[in-house]
Amino acid sequence: MDSDDEDYVFFGTPIEREEEITNRRKKAVAEASGNLRSLPAWKQEVRDEEGRRRFHGAFTGGFSAGYYNTVGSKEGWAPQSFTSSRKSRAEVKQQSIFNFLDEDEKAELEGQYLGTSSQFDTFGFTAAEYARKQADKEQKQRPSAIPGPVPDELVLPAAESIGVKLLLRMGWRRGRAIKESNASSLYDARREARKAFLAFASDGTKASHPADHDPVEGEPESLAEQPATNDAKSSQSLPVFVLNPKQDLHGLGYDPFKHAPEFREKKISRLSNNKQLGYRKPTSIKDSLFGSKSGKAAPGFGIGALEEFDAEDEDIYAAGYDFQETYVEEAEEPSRLSIESKQKVVAKDQGILPGFKVASVSDYQLERFDPPIIPKDFVPHHKFPGTLEALKKLDIPSPPVVPPPDDNNLKLLIEGVATLVARCGKLFEDLSRKKNQSNPLFSFLSGGNGHDYYARKLWEEHKKCGNQGKLSSDGKLSPSVQKMTAESRGELLGEKPLERSLKETKSSSVASGEFVQLQFNLSDTFTNPSSFSELPEVAKPFKDDLAKQERFERFLKEKYEGGLRSTESSAASNMSEAARARERLDFEAAAEAIEKAKRGKESMISTQPFDILATGMQFTSGGLEQVKDAHAEDLVTKKMYPRREEFQWRPLPILCKRFDLIDPYMGKPPPPPRMRSKMDSLLFMPDSVKGAKLEDVITNRDLPVAQTDAHKTIGDVAEKEIEIEVENVERPVDLYKAIFSDDSDDDVEDSNTNKVGEPEKKIEAATTTLNRLIAGDFLESLGKELGLEVPPDVPYSTNKASIPSQIETPNSDAENAKIILVEGRTSCTSNAVSGPSLNPQQETAREGESSKNESIPGSSLRYSSKYTDGLSENISDKVNVEKFAQEDRKAKLPSRQRRNWSSSSSSEDERNRKHSRRHRHRSSDSCSDSSTDYRDRNHSRSKGRRKKSSQEKSSSSRKHSKHHKHRNRDSPSRSRYGSEREHSEGRKEKRKRRD
Amino acid sequence: MSVSELPRKEANVLKGHEGAVLAARFNSDGNYCLSCGKDRTIRLWNPHRGIHIKTYKSHGREVRDVHVTPDNSKLCSCGGDRQIFYWDVSTGRVIRKFRGHDGEVNAVKFNEYASVVVSAGYDRSLRAWDCRSHSTEPIQIIDSFLDTVMSVCLTKTEIIGGSVDGTVRTFDIRIGREISDDLGQPVNCISMSNDGNCILASCLDSTLRLLDRSTGELLQEYKGHACKAYKMDCCLTNTDAHVTSGSEDGSIFFWDLVDASVVSKFQAHASVVTSVSYHPKDNCLITSSVDGTVRVWKT
Repeated sequence: MDSDDEDYVFFGTPIEREEEITNRRKKAVAEASGNLRSLPAWKQEVRDEEGRRRFHGAFTGGFSAGYYNTVGSKEGWAPQSFTSSRKSRAEVKQQSIFNFLDEDEKAELEGQYLGTSSQFDTFGFTAAEYARKQADKEQKQRPSAIPGPVPDELVLPAAESIGVKLLLRMGWRRGRAIKESNASSLYDARREARKAFLAFASDGTKASHPADHDPVEGEPESLAEQPATNDAKSSQSLPVFVLNPKQDLHGLGYDPFKHAPEFREKKISRLSNNKQLGYRKPTSIKDSLFGSKSGKAAPGFGIGALEEFDAEDEDIYAAGYDFQETYVEEAEEPSRLSIESKQKVVAKDQGILPGFKVASVSDYQLERFDPPIIPKDFVPHHKFPGTLEALKKLDIPSPPVVPPPDDNNLKLLIEGVATLVARCGKLFEDLSRKKNQSNPLFSFLSGGNGHDYYARKLWEEHKKCGNQGKLSSDGKLSPSVQKMTAESRGELLGEKPLERSLKETKSSSVASGEFVQLQFNLSDTFTNPSSFSELPEVAKPFKDDLAKQERFERFLKEKYEGGLRSTESSAASNMSEAARARERLDFEAAAEAIEKAKRGKESMISTQPFDILATGMQFTSGGLEQVKDAHAEDLVTKKMYPRREEFQWRPLPILCKRFDLIDPYMGKPPPPPRMRSKMDSLLFMPDSVKGAKLEDVITNRDLPVAQTDAHKTIGDVAEKEIEIEVENVERPVDLYKAIFSDDSDDDVEDSNTNKVGEPEKKIEAATTTLNRLIAGDFLESLGKELGLEVPPDVPYSTNKASIPSQIETPNSDAENAKIILVEGRTSCTSNAVSGPSLNPQQETAREGESSKNESIPGSSLRYSSKYTDGLSENISDKVNVEKFAQEDRKAKLPSRQRRNWSSSSSSEDERNRKHSRRHRHRSSDSCSDSSTDYRDRNHSRSKGRRKKSSQEKSSSSRKHSKHHKHRNRDSPSRSRYGSEREHSEGRKEKRKRRD
Repeated sequence: MSVSELPRKEANVLKGHEGAVLAARFNSDGNYCLSCGKDRTIRLWNPHRGIHIKTYKSHGREVRDVHVTPDNSKLCSCGGDRQIFYWDVSTGRVIRKFRGHDGEVNAVKFNEYASVVVSAGYDRSLRAWDCRSHSTEPIQIIDSFLDTVMSVCLTKTEIIGGSVDGTVRTFDIRIGREISDDLGQPVNCISMSNDGNCILASCLDSTLRLLDRSTGELLQEYKGHACKAYKMDCCLTNTDAHVTSGSEDGSIFFWDLVDASVVSKFQAHASVVTSVSYHPKDNCLITSSVDGTVRVWKT
């Protein structure tokens, strides 16, 4: 444009665009240096040498047409080659696909690329592919009639795989199964055998039916091999040919005859019959005989694939019908195997398979034996050698009556053993014989001295057993036995009282002292009787009741001396289990007392008060009346049901809510198990206290063995008791309130040191008061009941008076009290049974001391003895709860406990008292035993008394914490729940008796 | 009520259970009854018309007891599968299953407000289950029994259980006391008199015992029937004038309440009579038996 400026006339002043020009120049320079070329094509501008854009016009490319980004050259575009057809008209260019292919495509087509060599094409896949490609190429080269690619199936591999080659080298021929060499040997062998068999079979029939036989025979032979083998095997190596179209309705690969080839053959034979009609029929029998054959092929040479498939579409369940048909036909046909077929007809083909015939001579004969001949004297009852019956049988001839041996001891021993053997069976005899082989005393068992007598005794015992029958041997379970009195039974059995068996003692009356004799004597023989004889006259606590005394003595013997012990059950009289257990406890107590007396620790006290108590405990509805008569006792037992007891039971709050009731325990601090345990220990305590005291103070008494069991309480008594009980139970609420509000003073002072113990203490204080009240009630009622000369109030008051003092003495300072508390807690036992029972004794010891100090032996003694009764009752009840499962164990249990108490109580207490301050800080978490509670209670109670007036602070907050803590402590105590419940029951029992 | 008014005529036979029928219960108004049995079903009947209305199936074992709420909206049942099923009556669906008993559950009852189900089990416990919450845990377990609890009765404030240990234990929720009345014989079934003052306990020594609830006194014993091995029911008539119970020989006994004489006895079933239930108002009795039938008796 600049260059043209002069040629034009311009009007006006041109606006010089400075930047435009400079831009252009710059661009031109840049272009020259080739900078622009680096730009992408769409950003490049076409410029001339001067950097001017050149417009080429729309058809020539516009701005961008031209040299740089277009075809062509600097000179412009020209067709590469143009040759006139005039010059070379003749040469017609032949178009080939290669004219239109790219280089790489061409290379691909012509195989000019790296590829696998067919040399290593083991399986011929590459060869096949190559062939296919070749074919493709060929087809493209010379168009064929069929357009499109060649179907793969038609193109076979040009090269054989190396495997095939190898196989061929090894002699394999196409169309054969590879494993044929193996199979064929077997096959051949089989074929030979069949041939031989056929030949053999045909011998007989050839004569009669040569015409029938020959063609058939010949044909199958020839047919058999090739088609069968080839058909069957070729399919294995050549998958291409599917010659057997699937015609049946079975699933693929399903062979209905898999496990029942007989049916297949049957079917095949039937089919072949149908197919080949008359011609095949004669052979069908043979066919079926050999099983594996087809209609087409000969008998016995495998099944052709075709036939197999044919057979398969038959209903297998039609087979049964086929059998029939076949055989009927066969029967009609004159056949070589006419005999067999006839038999088949006779057998009417039920269950007979083709190819099988019913044997004329059956190898399998069911051998039948005659039942053994039962001897005429056989009695169909098995008798076990060790049992009673066996002995009984033996004893049928009664041994002669033999005078007992002179030695009384031996006599007793013999009697005892005889009784035992009669009861327990001969096993016992054997056992004892074995055991006592060396013992000359037992020589009678093995025919020595006294054997005759023993035999006689044994016989007698057996007779008794037999008379009594099984029921009686089962013992006390049968009521009828129980109801019989000893006398009547004795009469019935015609026995002398001394010879009574153990069983009979059960029914004998308590009054008769003899009934224990045998048992007693027996135990005498087995244990050392010396100590018994040593018992002083005073040590007979049950003088007024001979039977009981006897039992007691026996008990003593068992207790102190080793040796064979009579079983508990054998000692059973008509007493109930509970009564026995109770008595046992009484005995224990008495024995304990006697023991003490022997040791001479305390002066003997007349047994008089004791007796009173003993009789008092046996109260009946009549009050003080002594229960000595067995009949009376029976009456009582009869009357004892229904028996009412009351327990505490805590419904859970949610239950109360659901029943729309107010939780009776709502707001009561201790959760139920805890509460219960405390109550138990409280109520339990006085008893045990007294019991232990009793042991300490009173030395010689017949332990008031509660002769009446609590079970024997009578209705009206129970009623009374309930009222009292309820009273007692309802008291705690108020008590708690009263006590919670006032015991705060010493708590405050202790709070910093012993916060944990505080709430407990409060509660315990409450419960202690409650306890005292209850104890008061208890004493009162007891006094009333006993009608003793001591006015009921006196003991109560004295007791009351004594309690605080006695407690205060040891624990004059509060600190001390606490120490003991903690100590007690730490020393608590984990044993559920002994745990709760431990505390009483500690208390006991203390109380015992105090009472001694006060020197009011009369009253305290009496009460203590009473308490002892209660205690024993308690224990016995516990035992009762255990259902008397193991009486021995149970019986031992209380005694053990008692011994523990007596031994440990005082010492432990002492230890506690001596304990230093450091124990105070021991955490109270571990186990909150009731013993500690009790002790605690005592302390706090005493404290409370002292400071009652000054304490007016109500400790609501503390109450709170109390609850909390109790809840925490609840968990350990809960585990004891069960046992404690038992205790509570025991307590109740005791109470009842008090009434 | 005179003896002649005792229901002794068979009005209907409700057949449908396969196998023994273990319990038959009137609903609270007596218009319907429920039966349950060894075939693991509970069936709802109209005994007066003899129509089978509905079958409740879900139990895995035999159904031993069934009870219906006073408003007839819910059922509870229990049985050998150790569970208590809480049903919706109309839909027949199980609303809840309470699991927890360690053994077969012998008896089940709703409380007054149908808010709690109390069950008695072979595991020696009574368990209370909350129907209001979704919890399937027992809200109370009473395990003071020493043996299988066979039967349970509820009053507004008490739970009463009868056990094979021979006790009838009354758990008074209001005062938090357990009162145990030991009968000395295994208690098979307990039934409360309509006035609520007495408990009739069927003991396995073939004796029914009538206890005064307040005192625990034995008021009367009724004998004559056979009840030794089977869980059988007993009940009082609606007027409390008679005591009725089945017998193991298939007969029904009526005793006079006061003088304990057998006033009526008739053969009702071919086999053990497992359950008797008396109509709350009318003279109508339903009995169920091992023979698979429930029979309706009217005067």
